[in-house]
Amino acid sequence: MAEGKYANDPEWESITPIQLDDGSDSGAMPLASIAYPSEYLEATSYLRAVMAANEMSERALRLTEDVISLNPAHYTVWIYRAKILFALEKDLLEELEWLNGVSLKYLKNYQIWHHRQVLMASKAHFPTIPTKELDFLMEMFAQDSKNYHVWTYRHWLIRHFKLWDLPRELEDVESLIKADVRNNSAWNHRYMLRFGPREDAPAAGMANAGSALSTADEKGVLTVVDEDLVDFELEFAKAQIVRAPENRSPWWYARGVLRAAGRGVGEWEGFAGKFVDTHSGDVRSSHAVEWLADVYASGEGVKAVEMFTLLKEKYDPIRKNYWDYRIQQVVV
Amino acid sequence: MAQPKASASPEPILNTERHIKYYLRCLKTFLPSAYISNDSNRMLLAFLTLTGLDVLDALNSKTTPEERQSYIDWVYHCQVPSGGFRGFSGTDFGASNRTPENEAWDPANVPATFFALVNLLVLGDDLARVKRVECLRWLPKLQRDDGSFGEVLGPGEEIEGNSDLRYCCCAAGIRFILRGRSGMGVEEVEDIDVPRFISFIQACQSYDGGMAESPYREAHSGHTYCAVGSLEFLRRASVDTRPVQLLSPGSLQFETLVAWLASRQTNDLGEEDDEDEDEGEDDDEGSAETNNDDAAHQPTIDRDIGTLRLSTDAILSLPKIASIPSDTITCAGFNGRCNKLADTCYSFWNGATLAVGVSGNLVFVSKTSAHSISQMLNRSSVIDDVRNRRYLLEKTQHLVGGFGKVPGDTPGKAKQKRSLRRRIDMLTQARSPPLMFWPGLAGLPRRDWPRSRRSCTGHYRACRAAPGIIAVA
Repeated sequence: MAEGKYANDPEWESITPIQLDDGSDSGAMPLASIAYPSEYLEATSYLRAVMAANEMSERALRLTEDVISLNPAHYTVWIYRAKILFALEKDLLEELEWLNGVSLKYLKNYQIWHHRQVLMASKAHFPTIPTKELDFLMEMFAQDSKNYHVWTYRHWLIRHFKLWDLPRELEDVESLIKADVRNNSAWNHRYMLRFGPREDAPAAGMANAGSALSTADEKGVLTVVDEDLVDFELEFAKAQIVRAPENRSPWWYARGVLRAAGRGVGEWEGFAGKFVDTHSGDVRSSHAVEWLADVYASGEGVKAVEMFTLLKEKYDPIRKNYWDYRIQQVVV
Repeated sequence: MAQPKASASPEPILNTERHIKYYLRCLKTFLPSAYISNDSNRMLLAFLTLTGLDVLDALNSKTTPEERQSYIDWVYHCQVPSGGFRGFSGTDFGASNRTPENEAWDPANVPATFFALVNLLVLGDDLARVKRVECLRWLPKLQRDDGSFGEVLGPGEEIEGNSDLRYCCCAAGIRFILRGRSGMGVEEVEDIDVPRFISFIQACQSYDGGMAESPYREAHSGHTYCAVGSLEFLRRASVDTRPVQLLSPGSLQFETLVAWLASRQTNDLGEEDDEDEDEGEDDDEGSAETNNDDAAHQPTIDRDIGTLRLSTDAILSLPKIASIPSDTITCAGFNGRCNKLADTCYSFWNGATLAVGVSGNLVFVSKTSAHSISQMLNRSSVIDDVRNRRYLLEKTQHLVGGFGKVPGDTPGKAKQKRSLRRRIDMLTQARSPPLMFWPGLAGLPRRDWPRSRRSCTGHYRACRAAPGIIAVA
């Protein structure tokens, strides 16, 4: 390839590009072949050449930027770029600035967020969280408040910099829930802030969830419980339920809170009961009906079946088969 | 909300011929230039294409043995000398240039290795050229202390990539294909740490019952499929059949998982909202509509919330919810997270996780196969397969073959044209999938699918998805 911006650039004269070998020469028939544009073929041929030479240079850094702009999902170009940044002792705050633009352009890209995490994990560069980091994440959430990659990264930030009790953290979550009470990602993050493990263990999952020795009853139950916090969170969930009673998120949040505290769903029988008037048949939340069914399922089978039947026949017919499944499990 | 009566429209059908044409086009012609942003996922795209044709029973009839052999040769072309496969040929700088110093820039990739092995099997290869021992030696190096797996080994054999159930499922699949139940011939090769692996997977269960990418993240149907798929691969590869709680009916883990999966079904299809969504990078599903019951009942949320006491009156002043007559809902698809809109791919992820046992020759065990019962959670009966089927076939099946991710526009000439254009955009635009799509091989028998339309064919029997596209057999 004699034409092209690299071929014509004196800075790249010393490099012999390595052309793509897609196997056709040896008789293979390439699968998922793409009609590659010539600028992509050229840029990647120079990328292979500098990678083969392990070149850590400014021009290689610029080349990675070019390739990333064409294919941000390229899984080695990001690793290579990170290596160059550290080797050349580049200003990582500048890199974050550049990354902000790329992130806003490719909202759903996974590699971008992993790269950010790789940079941020450098204790030498970031002994504490950079001041603008959380602002930028809120900017991302303004684009898509449920972006899974961004929440994953934010979760990692909390654990890495130990930010569970940073007031800003809970404030951001509350403002997102206030803006959209159905934002389940924000509810989930709140749960992690409130009940997630704070030790350094990387695999810190739901309490007792993965241990072969724990019983099903112990799953998700914390060993040390701050009852005031639990009560506070339950009241928070109630207030949000009243805002939108058919919103599943706070109902499930409350189940998680009760389980973490080792307290059962029975505690909310009264609250859920306010949404369901069995005499008049008035129902103000189908999730309250489900809650009551779960309360009754242990011991009051007839009433549980009555609740499941309400769901099946009147308020949640899409899940008819599931409610039948639950009815079969009830011991009347 | 869907208004038409279910009984009014004829039984929707799967337009098999068009889907076959669509996949053949993907197989035999160049993908458009915009696909360069999926260049590194070519082994996955190949997998979607080949298995798409296979599930439609067309791979062997529409390709010649010579073609299949040439495809096999390309997959092997992507095998790295040290074992495992690349995701695409683009990282290969040639055997003569490869050194211990630079080989980290051309690494084997965990998902690509899984897809490559399945591609070989689907194409009828005997895996004789697979660097089996090297690949099995490489695999444990990808496992972290927490039991999870990374994507590739970087410089200095650093594990790169997040802790992520997708990599876990692919790793378990590689292990199952190459080690099998007996591990015959590879007894000396160090295995992965299975107990830690299981521990990680179970720790990914969220407080609402679904499975998340990693512990304490939000539950997601794609990751849920990967969690159950991982355990299914382990179960099949093991002679030790101690039950895992997550797969044990009656356990809290199992029953809350089933409840979470069932609650993913929704008739919130976003049909009115998606008019202007054909631009941009939004390849994830949108958010479910915010109901108008919010504003009227917004209590003051402040720092004093802990003392907020709700009176019964506050609740009694809320509107009563209306009973929903069953015949007013024609279609119901699935979402992938709580309070999100339905999206075609989640009919697969949720449905396949719940899949029921079906006997038949499984893709991987056709040669060794003492046990060939497919079983994920074996609870597919809890979903509404009729409405899901209608959702897929009436709402997202596309004229030119393939399936869109969300319903198209309603009839009307200008609209229809735009709808068609948008669908074609979906076929041609490079959109990196929010998750890597792959079919439920852990739950899918390759042959002997039930022919009955009555069974939940809309779910596990079939989805084969390309970015934004899905096919149902």
